[in-house]
Amino acid sequence: MSKFKNNRGTVVLLAIALAALSLAQSSSALLTPEIKRVGGRLACLCGTCNNSVSDCPMLECHYTKPMREKIASMQKLGMGDDEIINAVVKDKGIQALAAPPTEGFNLLAWVMPWIAVGLGLLVVWMFISYLNRKRVTAAAAPELDPEILNRYRDNIEKDLAKLD
Amino acid sequence: MENLGALAIILAFCFAIYSVLASLIGTWKKRPFLVASGRRAVYTTWLLVASASGMLVYSLMKGDFRLAYVWAHSNKSMPFYYKFASWWGGQEGSLLFWAFLLSTYTMVVVFMNRKKFRDMMPYVISVLMATLAFFLVMIWVPLSPFQVFTVGKGIQDLGDGQGLNPLLQYWTMVIHPPMLYLGYVGFSVPFAFAIGSLITKQPGDAWIHTTRRWTLVTWLFQTTGIILGAGWAYSVLGWGGYWGWDPVENASLLPWITATAFLHSVMMQEKKGMMKIWNAVLISATFFLCIFGTFMTRSGVVQSVHAFAQSSIGTYFVSYLTVGIAGTVYLILSRLQYLKSEAHLESVVSRESSFMFNNLILLASCFAVLWGTLFPVISEAVTGDKISVDKPFYDRINIPIGLFLLFLTGVGPLIAWRKSSIESLKRAFFWPTIGGVALIAGLMAAGMRHPYALLSFGLCLFVTWTVAAEFYKGSRAISNKTGSNLLMAMVDLTHRNTRRYGGYIVHMGIVFMFIGFTGSAFNQDTTVEVDKGSVQKIGHYDLQIADIQQGENDNYLWHKAIVKISRNGSELGTLEPERRLYKASKQPTSEVSIRRRLNEDLYLNFAGMSNDDTKAVIQAYIFPLVSWIWIGFWVVLAGTLVCLVPAKVRLQYARTEVVGIARKNVEVQK
Repeated sequence: MSKFKNNRGTVVLLAIALAALSLAQSSSALLTPEIKRVGGRLACLCGTCNNSVSDCPMLECHYTKPMREKIASMQKLGMGDDEIINAVVKDKGIQALAAPPTEGFNLLAWVMPWIAVGLGLLVVWMFISYLNRKRVTAAAAPELDPEILNRYRDNIEKDLAKLD
Repeated sequence: MENLGALAIILAFCFAIYSVLASLIGTWKKRPFLVASGRRAVYTTWLLVASASGMLVYSLMKGDFRLAYVWAHSNKSMPFYYKFASWWGGQEGSLLFWAFLLSTYTMVVVFMNRKKFRDMMPYVISVLMATLAFFLVMIWVPLSPFQVFTVGKGIQDLGDGQGLNPLLQYWTMVIHPPMLYLGYVGFSVPFAFAIGSLITKQPGDAWIHTTRRWTLVTWLFQTTGIILGAGWAYSVLGWGGYWGWDPVENASLLPWITATAFLHSVMMQEKKGMMKIWNAVLISATFFLCIFGTFMTRSGVVQSVHAFAQSSIGTYFVSYLTVGIAGTVYLILSRLQYLKSEAHLESVVSRESSFMFNNLILLASCFAVLWGTLFPVISEAVTGDKISVDKPFYDRINIPIGLFLLFLTGVGPLIAWRKSSIESLKRAFFWPTIGGVALIAGLMAAGMRHPYALLSFGLCLFVTWTVAAEFYKGSRAISNKTGSNLLMAMVDLTHRNTRRYGGYIVHMGIVFMFIGFTGSAFNQDTTVEVDKGSVQKIGHYDLQIADIQQGENDNYLWHKAIVKISRNGSELGTLEPERRLYKASKQPTSEVSIRRRLNEDLYLNFAGMSNDDTKAVIQAYIFPLVSWIWIGFWVVLAGTLVCLVPAKVRLQYARTEVVGIARKNVEVQK
């Protein structure tokens, strides 16, 4: 308690700061489904989160709150989603988008992972073909009775099943 | 004290370099005493790094605010466990922590293998100690944790410090970074063994057998670290997010993915002698991704919410990575003839193929995450425009990849080694497929329309069914043979082949996690201003503010809302979300209050008081199924521990090499 008295000035200042920081904002009231839909395509550029304008949870976010207001006012003017997005990009630059645009160089962001999957499949297919060729070469010489071979296979399967 | 600490780091660096040189020169010149002295230098290095670490921890505990690191990351009012956690709370200390873990691991490896692998161990020691020297030089030259404040020629004591970042003052943060570091650093060991094996042209799989458990434990540490981080984000940040695709989060995920691929593909090498090159590549990629992730989060190359402060160490990392990757690529290419497969792939429809696809998809996912993380840097370099790559990008790319991986989780274990017939596939997959499809149809009939959620739930049931069927079939066979009940038979079955059935348990954990991830498609949230006594509704819950309290302690001031929760008139209890303001840093944090249930979490964040100071502002969220993520982790933990238990039946893996040619009239024993 005496410690509290000694630091009363600091405590009062901190209490004021806490109250100021705690001030309720009405930016969340702006989160109508329409604003959420457009805000979901825009990144919050506050620098402290990786959320979209519709997901940012900070009541007093210096970026999200005015952006939601801006979206609301543009919607009141009758602007469509794409028009709003274009207007924001014109103002803030391409980084205002939550994901890279699907055009120009940035299209690479979207296609490269699938190109990688395609190349991987190609490599796996080539590898399987290579191993199959080796197997055919190794097994080409003998004439094998399918029945005997099947019995061998059954035996091997049984042995492997025991091991597994 | 600070001089001794700095001196210990310099001496540790010298001993690490000596250990590398003595091990290599001793091996090349065939001087065993030199090799032995290189080995012993490992113990000396550990002693020095441990001493430096001890001195830093002592300074943090004692509150020696002459040290810049202690001032920046602790203060007098912090509890002792957060003071201890300040060791890894900042850039310099965390690098020292990394060095401490690596030197400890190296010492353990050297001790455990002191009478084994005489040819390989000098190279293993060289790789580990060279890596240690790299970290030591960084905490010696640009980022010493023992820098002091000086005024003129005198050392200045600032009296008290700034304290650890308030967001990090949460219990999981005391465990989360060490777990991640134990994972990051631990992958150095299998990598060092792989390099040692390549250099000495080991014909067999000695390095795989030696490091299998090590890799598994390291993977478990990494998994635990990632999940603890997710749990921290969920409980601390105030909005219920557990994964935000932040570059720092991605940095921890990348090596985890390649390590997961490695843990699967080593089975191919052990059982079939296949994929030897691939395994060497995978473990190398895992190790270098650990270093690369550290580089990303510490050099300022990518913007991150929780990266360390920008520093000049980027050049050090680039140099190390360039030399390390070039050396490893050269080594693998020059040893290709020793890494040839011993068996052939006999069918595309086989366990071997499923492992290949599993690896391919895991690697694709790894590439997608890496690509998304680096693309802003690449795009800015090429086009000059800054771009954002946030959650929508990662979700769109990774959700389909993740679902395909989930599908393979169910398919892989049911396909036989070598070759599966159509009949056996039908037998294995008919009912699980019917079950999955029926569930999707049922959910659609119940009104669910989210396509990914439907697919995910269907696949979760599919995988669960296949895993349950595997346990049931095996247990029933044992039960019929021994007469024991089904539960005991299941325990016996698991004990007979701990790797296989432990792996299935891990897969079930992953299924549970997917159930939790899928629940996020149905999140609800609202922000309400409520005064004392009034009732607000979210979902089927009624929230009533019973009281608003405030107070303080040495560390922070707090406001707390007491919220009574009810549903359809019946009381469900009280939640007490809190808002804090830390005195030293003047930073506010949220202490959310969560009602956790298997079907959904009710999550309350006390955001503050209204403008007229009469109403509490409560952010309320409903997160369906999120608890299954944490349950999934415990199942993964249990499954991994089962995998580590030695099997009751020692398995000999028959390799299906072509060893002879059958003649037509050979009698086959029936």
